[in-house]
This record gives sequence, structure tokens and C-alpha cells, in this order.
Amino acid sequence: MRDELIVSGLTVRFAGLTALDDVGFTVAPGSVHAVIGPNGAGKSTCFNVLSGVYRATEGSVTFGGTELTTLAPHRIAALGIARTFQNIALSRHLSVEDNLMLGRHRLTKAGFLSAGLRLPRARREDARHRARVRDIAEFVGVGDHLAAPVGMLPYGVQKRIELARGLAMEPRLLLLDEPVAGMNGTERQRMADVIVRARADLGISILLVEHDMGMVMRLADEVTVLDFGKRIAGGPPADVQRDPAVLRAYLGAAHEPTAGTATATEEEERERA
Amino acid sequence: MSETLRRPAFWALAGGTALLLALPFYLDAFWLQTGLFAISAAIGAIGLNLLTGATGQLSMGHAFFLAVGAYGYVYLASDDGAHVSGLGVPTPLAFVGAVVLAGVAGGLFSPIAGRLRGTYLGIASLALIFVGQHLLMNVEGVTGGFNGRDVPPLELFGLRFDDSPDLVVFNIPLGALERLWFLAVALLIPAAWIARGIVRGRPGRAMNTIRDHEVAASVMGVPVARYRAGVFVLSSMYAGAAGALLALVFRRTVPEYFGMFLSLDYLAMIVIGGLGTAAGAIAGAVFVSVLPQLLTRFGGELPLVSAPGTGGVSPAEAARILYGAAVVAVVLFLPGGLVGLWTRLRLRITARRRPPAPLTRLDNKEQPA
Repeated sequence: MRDELIVSGLTVRFAGLTALDDVGFTVAPGSVHAVIGPNGAGKSTCFNVLSGVYRATEGSVTFGGTELTTLAPHRIAALGIARTFQNIALSRHLSVEDNLMLGRHRLTKAGFLSAGLRLPRARREDARHRARVRDIAEFVGVGDHLAAPVGMLPYGVQKRIELARGLAMEPRLLLLDEPVAGMNGTERQRMADVIVRARADLGISILLVEHDMGMVMRLADEVTVLDFGKRIAGGPPADVQRDPAVLRAYLGAAHEPTAGTATATEEEERERA
Repeated sequence: MSETLRRPAFWALAGGTALLLALPFYLDAFWLQTGLFAISAAIGAIGLNLLTGATGQLSMGHAFFLAVGAYGYVYLASDDGAHVSGLGVPTPLAFVGAVVLAGVAGGLFSPIAGRLRGTYLGIASLALIFVGQHLLMNVEGVTGGFNGRDVPPLELFGLRFDDSPDLVVFNIPLGALERLWFLAVALLIPAAWIARGIVRGRPGRAMNTIRDHEVAASVMGVPVARYRAGVFVLSSMYAGAAGALLALVFRRTVPEYFGMFLSLDYLAMIVIGGLGTAAGAIAGAVFVSVLPQLLTRFGGELPLVSAPGTGGVSPAEAARILYGAAVVAVVLFLPGGLVGLWTRLRLRITARRRPPAPLTRLDNKEQPA
């Protein structure tokens, strides 16, 4: 099916350490799918395999029918899969606009010759894509900072620039690695709004790794829970919240599920984050 | 166009070009030669700054590509002699050929240049210096061995770039150095302009992101290895042009010039001038090329500096010590190099001219918790 991300039997081993063990899930087109789990559960490894940064030991990942596990990262990007990083990965000295323009790399063509000689083709392309990038910056709420070097801006704004750069790729699937980590309440709210609008306006699928349970419950249509590299549960957020395996993973084996555990999970998560 | 005419940068550029073109009418041979070294070095340094400054790929092999350019030109342009061979190609073609040859040499090394990151490439490219020195010393039929080779003067549209006394402008006879000066300026301007276009355009953004965050570059769709290889070839071509121009200025190529110290000089240029920009490369090249000559010329008046061979510090040594100190000072106090200093001064001046903007409170939502 078009734009459907299917992960099946995914296993990643690093010299004897199994980071992911036979993990499988499906991201339906246009949905928000969250991957959660305690620290070290394999969420980031999973993201790195999906974006081609790590190689899978076994298993397959397909997007719209194309196998991703054998592709280099830039080929995966060319399919319309964008990602953000948990630890900000922007060029600190470049302006916000230039950082966002990097997102247009796959959509533009100018090479050494046409950029060096400023051929009309390259100049037209540049102007057209700059206009779009400015729109995206407005959409995400960083439009006032376009000319500023990224390194001078506050953390919360940098996180939004990360998201904007991902959106600038005009992705079909957006991988968000802890988009609200380290943010305060207002910033979180703002980021959640942007994600909701991006999905509604652009119709893209979103795969989300997040520690903030409130955020996951509010945004996600489906949740996959990982623990020690294994998938221990999956389904709609409300079901996952009550799943005994999930509660054990988060709160320890001694904990017996009782009424009101959902809120307990949520609080526990807050503390961890 | 009218907007271009109002920009101070445009006038600075036009004034600078006019000054560069007027200089040969006033400078003596000594300063002309120094200036020519500086311009050649600037072209080479622009290439290295694309690679090391903008892409973060350290190269110790820049001297090798300068040698390929210099010897490539000589080999292509010379006629067969008693001990050395040559192809006898028309000299302008030989110049272009030398640049292409340097690019090809860079291309041959690019499978390595594409795969290695930053300092690792620096170590691998060190090998090029040793290979280069070995070849220059031993392939005598092409390089002339230890004694090097004479460089045939360039001949462009009937104008020979040597001392043939038939060119007089404004009552001033233009000899080889004056003529080469104009050629050098005509090469430097497009070299800087093209590099600036690349750095500010799509390839430059990809290069900067490879330097700052390689993984981010690749997941944003930048083919990292291909870019690294491409920039390496491009920087080799800049080095080739610089080498061929240096050969024309020297009129003789000798192998020992193209050693490791030359590579280090180029690295010093881009660090002192400012990493990542063409302007930085030019500023650094002028600083590093002119300083030893200044010390030679005025060394007598400085304490501690004495003529070579008389004990004490020779001008060349003093220059090395000084720009060694300059590198340290720049790294510690001037992160943007000479160009960064200039930008800061300019910002300060414009800030003084304009009344300070009223300080507004941050948007409530942006307040830290």
C-alpha cells in the first residue's frame, strides 16, 4: 500500500548486544504512531535503522513497497522520509533560513557548476525554494528568526527549527525523535499544536518517539511499546495504558495493575523525563 | 542593477579591483613578485578553504596538487629537450590542462577522500606529499629531478608573458611580472567569485552540514561521500591553477618547494584568514605570503632579526615564528580569523551609527520556565 511503513522481524545486534529483537509494527498512511519504552529500550536504534544510519542485522522495513534496510541514508531521504534528532543536529553558524534550505536539498538540483556560476536556473530555483521555506518557518513559528544564526537562539526555538527542517523536505513520513524533550509546558503545548496542524494540513504520516506520556496519549493513533529491544505491547493509546506488560516494564514486576494505574504511569513518566 | 550600485560591498569590490589593476604601475619588482606569490597562494587557499574550512575535511596533501599543477603546466607546454620530455601544447591550453590534470589527480584520490572524515583524511593525505616528493625527484624525464625544470612563458593571443620589451602602457614598460600580475588578477577574481557562489548556494549548505553534523546531512538527502569526493576534486583544481601560476612567476620549478611545509603554510593561511570563506582564504594568503617578505625587507630595523647565516634569527624563521604565533592567537582570540575580525568591526561601526533598538521583552511563550 502506498506510503505505508511496515517494520517486520527487525533485529539489530552490536557485537553480541541485541538492541532490537524481532520488532514489528505498521504505520498507516496519515496516522501518528508513537514508539515508547523505558530508556535503553531500543527506540533510537529503531529510528536509526529506519533512516539508514544503522544497518539491520535481520528483518525488513518497507515504505510504500520499497525495502529500506539496504539503502543509504540519502536514498531513504529521497523517498520522502524526514527525521529530526533528539539532540539538536543543526549547523550552529548558519542562519535559520540556510538550515531550512538544507531540507530542500533533495528537491533542488544546483551543483558546483551552476551554483558557482550563478546560472539563471540555479537562481530561480533558489528564490522559489526560499519562498517555500519562509512559509514553513511561519507555519512552525520561527519566521521571526530567519536571518539569525541558529546557535544564538534558545533551545525551544532550535527544537522547532529541527521540525521545520524536517517539514522543509516535504516528507511523506516524518520521524520525530523526542520533539519535546527538555521543554517547558508552554513550549510543549506549542510543539504539539504544530505537529497536529502539520498532520492535518499536509496529510503526512508521523512516527514519534517520546517520553512525555501526556503528549503521546494526546497525539498518537497507535502506540508500540518496546522494552529491552522487544515489542511488548501495541495498539490504541488507551489500551496500551492498561496493558499489564507495559505497567511491569515501566513500574517494575512487583506492581499489580489496579484502578487508576493509567495516571500512575503518566506521573512516573514525567519523573523520568 | 540600481540596487547593486547602492551597496557598499559593490563599491568596495570595484575599488579593490581598480587598486589591484593600478598596482603594477607603481610597485617595484620585489613587491610585484611578493604580490604575485600572494595572489597565487590566494587561489590555492580558496580551494583548501572549500575543502577544510567549508566541508571540515583536513588535507595535508595540498602541496601535492600544487606540484601537479606546476609540473603539469611545464610538461604540457615544454618542447622535448635533451634530458626532459614535453608535449609542446600551446601554453594557454597547457595551463587549462594543468588544472584538469590536478583535478584528475584529485579524482584518483577521491575514493579515499570520500570515505575518510576530517582529521583521518589529513593523515591519509600526508601520504600524497611523500609520493609526490618521490616522483618529483625520480621521474626525471618529466620533472627534471632534483634540479627541476625551466617554465616556458605563457603566450596568450600573441602576448608573451616574459620580458620581451615591446609593451609600454602610460610610458611604463610592462615586463613579465607586470603582465603576469594582470593574468593573476584575472584568475583570482573568477576563482573567488565561483567559490563564493558555491559556498552560499546549495552545495555550500550541504558542505557546511557535512562539517557540522555528518549524520544530519545524510538523512537530509546529501550523498556525503560523493560530496566529499567532489569537493576534494574541486580543491585540487584550485591548487592546480595556483601551482601553474606559481610556476609562471618562479620561471623554474623545483621539487623541494612542494614539501610538507607548503601544505602547512596553506593551512595556516585559511586558519589565520578565516575558515570557510573565499575572503578568509585571500586575507590569510596575503598575510602569510607578505609577512616573510616584509621581514626580509625591513628586518634590519627589527630587533633580533639578522641576515641569514650571521647567527640570530633569519627573516624566514622570524616569519614562521610570527605566523605560528598568529595561528595560536587567532585560534584563541579570533574564532573567525581576520575576516571575522573585520565583520565584528563593521558591525560595531554600523551599530554606533544607528541608534540602539529599544529592548523589548521576550514573547511570553519564549520565557524560560
